Amino acid sequence: MYKLTLIARYLLKRRITHFAVLAVTLCVFIVVVVMTVMTGLVGDFKQKNHAFVGDCVVGTDSLVGFPYYEEFMNLVEQTGIAEGVSPVVKSYALLNTERGDSANVEIIGLDPIRHSQATNFGRTLHFRAKEVAKAFEPLYDANVPGCVVGIDQVLQRNAQSQYLQFNKLLRASVTLTCFPLNAKGAPSKAGTSLVSTKRFYYSDNSHTGIPRVDDTYVYVPLEQAQLLCMDGAEKRITAIHIKFRPGVGIEEGRRRIADLWQQYQQTKSSAPNGVLLNTVTVQSWKEYRRAVIAPIEAEQLLLSLMFVLVGITTVFIVSVVFYMIIRSKRNDIGVLKSVGASNTSILSLFQGFAFGIGLIGSCAGALFAWLFLSRINQIEQWCYEHFGWQIWNRSIYVIGDIPHHLEFSVLAVIIFCAILSCLVGALIPSYLAARLRPVEILHAARM
Amino acid sequence: MLKLFLWLKYVRRRRIILMSVAAVAMSVSLLIVVASLFTGFIAAFEQSAVNAIGDIIISAPDGLTFEQYPAFIERLEKTDIVEAATATLTSEGLLHLGGGNVRPVSIWGIQPDRRVRVMGFKKALLCQGRAAGDPSFRVADAPDEIGGFVGIGVLGKPDEKTDQYDQDAILKETLGKPVSVTTGKMEPTTDGGQEPKRRTISFRITDVVFTGVYQLDSGQVFLPIEVLQKKLYPTEGGFLATSISIKLKPGVAPDSVVERIRELWGGFAAQELGWGPMAISMTADRIKTAREMQKIYVAEFEKQKDVLEVIFSVISFGVVVLVFCIFYMMVKLKQKDIAIVISCGATSSSVIGLFVGFGVSVGVAGSGLGAALGYVITRHISQIEGWIRVLFGLKLWRSSVYMFSEIPNQIDWSSAAFYAAMAMMGAAVGALVPALVAARTRPVEVLRNE
Repeated sequence: MYKLTLIARYLLKRRITHFAVLAVTLCVFIVVVVMTVMTGLVGDFKQKNHAFVGDCVVGTDSLVGFPYYEEFMNLVEQTGIAEGVSPVVKSYALLNTERGDSANVEIIGLDPIRHSQATNFGRTLHFRAKEVAKAFEPLYDANVPGCVVGIDQVLQRNAQSQYLQFNKLLRASVTLTCFPLNAKGAPSKAGTSLVSTKRFYYSDNSHTGIPRVDDTYVYVPLEQAQLLCMDGAEKRITAIHIKFRPGVGIEEGRRRIADLWQQYQQTKSSAPNGVLLNTVTVQSWKEYRRAVIAPIEAEQLLLSLMFVLVGITTVFIVSVVFYMIIRSKRNDIGVLKSVGASNTSILSLFQGFAFGIGLIGSCAGALFAWLFLSRINQIEQWCYEHFGWQIWNRSIYVIGDIPHHLEFSVLAVIIFCAILSCLVGALIPSYLAARLRPVEILHAARM
Repeated sequence: MLKLFLWLKYVRRRRIILMSVAAVAMSVSLLIVVASLFTGFIAAFEQSAVNAIGDIIISAPDGLTFEQYPAFIERLEKTDIVEAATATLTSEGLLHLGGGNVRPVSIWGIQPDRRVRVMGFKKALLCQGRAAGDPSFRVADAPDEIGGFVGIGVLGKPDEKTDQYDQDAILKETLGKPVSVTTGKMEPTTDGGQEPKRRTISFRITDVVFTGVYQLDSGQVFLPIEVLQKKLYPTEGGFLATSISIKLKPGVAPDSVVERIRELWGGFAAQELGWGPMAISMTADRIKTAREMQKIYVAEFEKQKDVLEVIFSVISFGVVVLVFCIFYMMVKLKQKDIAIVISCGATSSSVIGLFVGFGVSVGVAGSGLGAALGYVITRHISQIEGWIRVLFGLKLWRSSVYMFSEIPNQIDWSSAAFYAAMAMMGAAVGALVPALVAARTRPVEVLRNE
């Protein structure tokens, strides 16, 4: 009980402790705000990539692709772990518009129904979101071949990161030119023109929220993509996207698909062009998109390391404050020890005091951070309206609202680290206090 | 002299002072490194545009091309502001490298001899960059064949761990290799409509381009301008270009001569090309300095830098609190010294001066150390990043993410000076309240207890 009394007395009476609390509050506030925004952005980016890819991808980097995919898809469906299985052809194409502009794009050949079961493709559409089967049927003419275009290629974002969608689908066409490759990887139709060209009509736009995807992807029917990009006796694709049923863990599902693929690959090793199956890998969505996710995670880690330096400053401050308190409270320590308090009791008294400073400081910091974050978008909007200032220019960055939801796990880690910093900072002064000899202290005081 | 004596005594006796010096140094170095990296990145970003398109570029409006560009270039070079100019014809296409390897590329028809004079293009060529004379597309063993330069990122990938290209292996594997690029443009049909016409150009790789800018290196193919023109516009004679890049004479500021270039272009287009006011006006709007073309992105980078600096400055406020705590403790512990100094006749202001001066000294020492640390870290940032990669397997800088192969390592001296000054001021502010407390010490009360 005496410990609690002393801790409360030091906290209230010693004004210098308020500075330690202030320092902890400040650090916790800034770390919570920055890490909440950063974690929100990273989490949002990962979630968009997960939704775009599905849970697992069986695929190859080679544009030549691999055959015998239909049989394997049946096997996957028979396992009962997959909710959606979608074959995809991915390749590059030269796009020419009616106006004469040209651009390099990535084309994705897919079956809209199957792909919407495996990924969020259907939900990314604007005009056909509720009729995914008709994704490639333009509203103005269902008989012409349609294509879905990444939204950034057809629409512009405003300052609030919103696209100004047309109420009615505009009649427009693009021409896609591809290199059809045979199973050996050589250009087919070698004696003729080397390339395949086909006109498609704009049937919808797709908004995935992933900048590079919305800026360069054009989606066409699977069969059309196979005709444009591939040639040979066996139909080929470049990837199978899979979504697992609820309750099937991603790593567990990936492992089962990988085992299944290994067995299947062996059965097809002697089939014509069966060698193409050797280039296929089975990856989780995170492995498949690691090239874009890893740099963002590295940035988050770097920022976390920088905040470790912030923690060191807090340790210093707490250390100094405790050193001062112990210097001025030598008499208290002497009296306590002379009435039987052990070294451990003195140590725990000051460690408890440090815990109190850390707890109060971090709670105050977290509270201010929560207040700030809950209004961060209004503050930014106000700054934009009055000064034309935004943290991120939404016409450049694909960011909607600034993430402001406090993650309990992030908050818990920050508070834990803040309290730990205080305990570490107080450790040496507490140890010195515990080692004080009451006779010398009280003798000196009496003198 | 007394002040100096006391300062030295406090530093010697109270090692905790060194803690405040270390905290100031840490904050200053962190801010200097962040500011320098950002400033270096922005400078490299701006310079990359100058290296790619020259000081000023004249771009043709969509669907139009510049005819008779040699005559306009000659006219430009006769002025007292232009050092050299060169034309470019661009298109998009697909490069087929063989073995099923197809890559999307931007095809640039260029004049290599002129280009080296406008934008230092030669340095980027891995083979001809080391040889004497102007670079050329000539194929050594087959002069009749078409030669072309290809970006290093089109031909190979950087090492996953080091992010470095194996230049020798790429050169050995690709020099002289026959490849083909397919491009196309919309052409009118007999029924009045338009349809795309594809064009395929087969050529041999005669050099590999490594500019250090990922987006350029991973997506560019350079061909002779006349070859590209012949394929894209087979029925049109003369000279055609989609842009003209201009290098200005030394000492000429690009912003100051844009208007004059517009006047020159307007006169040439009206007199020689017979263009109407509408087309001339559209082109005039597209005459820009390289920096002007980048300004929206530069402004955004500057903003991100400011936000990060504000965050770290708020954090650095903790250092002011730390200095305050240390000085407050010192004042409390050294009350006898203060009482003696005051009883010997020292005024309150000289006591304040003693501690504030000491605070400034801590600031000077901390910012000096911090500046030195910031300098060392920034200058050796690539090695430090390499050590982190070796020790933790974490590759922090990738050209595919941050655009450039090299991490900027130039010190932003103006920011460094600003943060050093702020650190000194912060230390003085931190020491001010303890100094006031010291000045209010009553020697009678303190010394009576002795």
